[in-house]
Amino acid sequence: METLAVEIIIICEVVAFLTVFFMHLVKENATLVGLFVLQSAAIAIGMIVFAFERGAFGLGITALLTVLIKAVIAPSFFFRLIARHHLKFSGTTYLSVPVTLGILILLTLIVDSTFFAPLASLAPHSKQIILLSVASLLISFFLMINRKGALSQIIGVLAFENSIVSFATAIELEQTVGLEFGVAFDLLMWVVIATVFVSMMYRHFGSLDVSGMKRLRE
Amino acid sequence: MLLTIIILTPIIAAMLSLMVKRRVWLLEVYASVAALIECGIAFVLAVKVGESGSYVASHYFSNNALDTLFTVVVTIISLIITWYSIGYLRKEKEKNIIGFRRVRQYFVLLNAFIFAMLLALSTTSPTIMWIAIEVTTLITALLITFYNKPSALEAGWKYLIINSVGLLFAFLGTIIFLAAASGTDGGFIAWSELMTYAGRLHPVVLKIGFVLVFVGYGTKVGLVPMHTWRPDAYSKAPMPIVALLSGALMNVAFLAIIRFKSITDSVIGVDFSSHVLMFFGLLSIIVAGFTIFAQENYKRLLAWSSVEHAGVIALGFGFGGRIGVFAALLHMLYHSLAKSLLFCSAGNFFLKYGSTKLKEISGSLKSIPLSSVLFLIGFLAATGVPPFGIFRSELYVMLAGIGEHPILIGVMTAGLALTFLGFLKQVSAMLFGNTPQHIEAGEASLWTTIPPVLLLVVFIILGFSLPGFVEKLLVSATLLIVQ
Repeated sequence: METLAVEIIIICEVVAFLTVFFMHLVKENATLVGLFVLQSAAIAIGMIVFAFERGAFGLGITALLTVLIKAVIAPSFFFRLIARHHLKFSGTTYLSVPVTLGILILLTLIVDSTFFAPLASLAPHSKQIILLSVASLLISFFLMINRKGALSQIIGVLAFENSIVSFATAIELEQTVGLEFGVAFDLLMWVVIATVFVSMMYRHFGSLDVSGMKRLRE
Repeated sequence: MLLTIIILTPIIAAMLSLMVKRRVWLLEVYASVAALIECGIAFVLAVKVGESGSYVASHYFSNNALDTLFTVVVTIISLIITWYSIGYLRKEKEKNIIGFRRVRQYFVLLNAFIFAMLLALSTTSPTIMWIAIEVTTLITALLITFYNKPSALEAGWKYLIINSVGLLFAFLGTIIFLAAASGTDGGFIAWSELMTYAGRLHPVVLKIGFVLVFVGYGTKVGLVPMHTWRPDAYSKAPMPIVALLSGALMNVAFLAIIRFKSITDSVIGVDFSSHVLMFFGLLSIIVAGFTIFAQENYKRLLAWSSVEHAGVIALGFGFGGRIGVFAALLHMLYHSLAKSLLFCSAGNFFLKYGSTKLKEISGSLKSIPLSSVLFLIGFLAATGVPPFGIFRSELYVMLAGIGEHPILIGVMTAGLALTFLGFLKQVSAMLFGNTPQHIEAGEASLWTTIPPVLLLVVFIILGFSLPGFVEKLLVSATLLIVQ
């Protein structure tokens, strides 16, 4: 692969990783969604460069689908939701900011351990990209656990999915365009249903803080 | 052709149901006819696969003995649950709990749910299987919130998030496996290709992939500690849907685990995957055994019973060998029937008493004697009391493990005994005692009593003597997994 292409892809992965990192620190929902758009765009650019370098038509289609669903459709749902219910601030976190930062650093360091090293054997020349996407995976998973807000959890799930896409690109996995459409359609349905759920939750509970949902314990 | 029809039938029924206006009977006809067609085709498939070992529709869709076995189970349960749903929803509509729109929504989603399960069973692609199982999550999340109450919404949200995250882990694991065969066959990677190329993967990577897949699909199965959605979702979803979740969907998710286990075992041997299955299986049995005592809601009680059975099945596959795998498959078959029977009869309790709280149910033998007897038989069957089929399958699981893992068998037996005692305590309080004064005696309708009776008949027949084609499928499926 050309050096320039590799550099662009690594920059995109670093941007994607940093956006997930900063998702833990922001308080406003709109900023959170903005970071998710940035992450999706960075991953899509990385995929396009990969597709261009390898002449992989399917990967290019996947990149366009990623942009369409994650950087256009899903954010438009979320911004509309935020505006309709005046959801300026996201729910708080279970852990304080210093503890959260400590765990984020730990999760990043863990990825560079002997446990995850064999994953690089899937595509030895893309080791850095694979490990960065694994770090993004762990950090986005932690976002879902640590945040109390339902919208943050949705963003966490989608950021997690983004990291999986990035991982699949790094290991040069090629699937048919039909299958990529299937996965993308499924994701779109998930976004629609999750948004409907969030809207219903706000109507029933007057808040998106999931820690306030205690009806099942009654 | 057969697989095309079996997959398309429920989706056509769902689309036709979507267009129905005000005629509930038409929704019932569409769902019943579709379920009958699916069941009929499943039996034809079973005969064909019994004769030739597999049924190949195309490169993308085919059925071997294992898929066909589960297809038969899913379609039988779907047919009977569809009939039960008719009676159940009629009663709810009579009580003005739901209106026409809700009934239509129910039948559309029910058919879509059946479609997704049949798609997962018929495809040769791990990716399509993952998509189909994810689709079941989306559909059932909507069905869990069917009554649109805050508590149902809470259970639905919990279900959606936990299962979606679980399935993302499964997707990541699937991608790791797919990496082995990447670049072959134009990007469409089938199970057979995974089996061929899995050896390309580093053993540790394969282990990571299997653990991810196990955690992902194990969440859908409801094994401890990934089970947390289960009691909540079961307690809020309509009773017929819970029967399908436990009796049909659990098997589909297990099938995904078994397939990945076979691939993993072919490269690194059986020890790793067996230990994972045994650990989580035993943990599920122990946790369920202790938790059942504390239940105050009979739907949650049945949910924990499903956790326990998932544990027994996992142990069977974990012990492995021909006896262990055969026992696990047999247990899946019996559990599907017994649990559907239990949920249908429990649904009749709900229709009569209007509550799922155990303390509000007493003297049911006087108020709904037939449903109570069905529930009692279902309880005895589900807890492995002889001479019912589950006793036999649990005995086989024990036989498979007693030689190499006697301590595990001891713990398993203790867990099963605990479950029986906990269940017995709760069930006796429901069946005996005085019926509350406001409860009138009498069953809800024939539509709600005949389906569980049918389930009982099928369960008893299969429990005492397996028909030739079922036995053939079970043996062939066992050999497919063990090889």
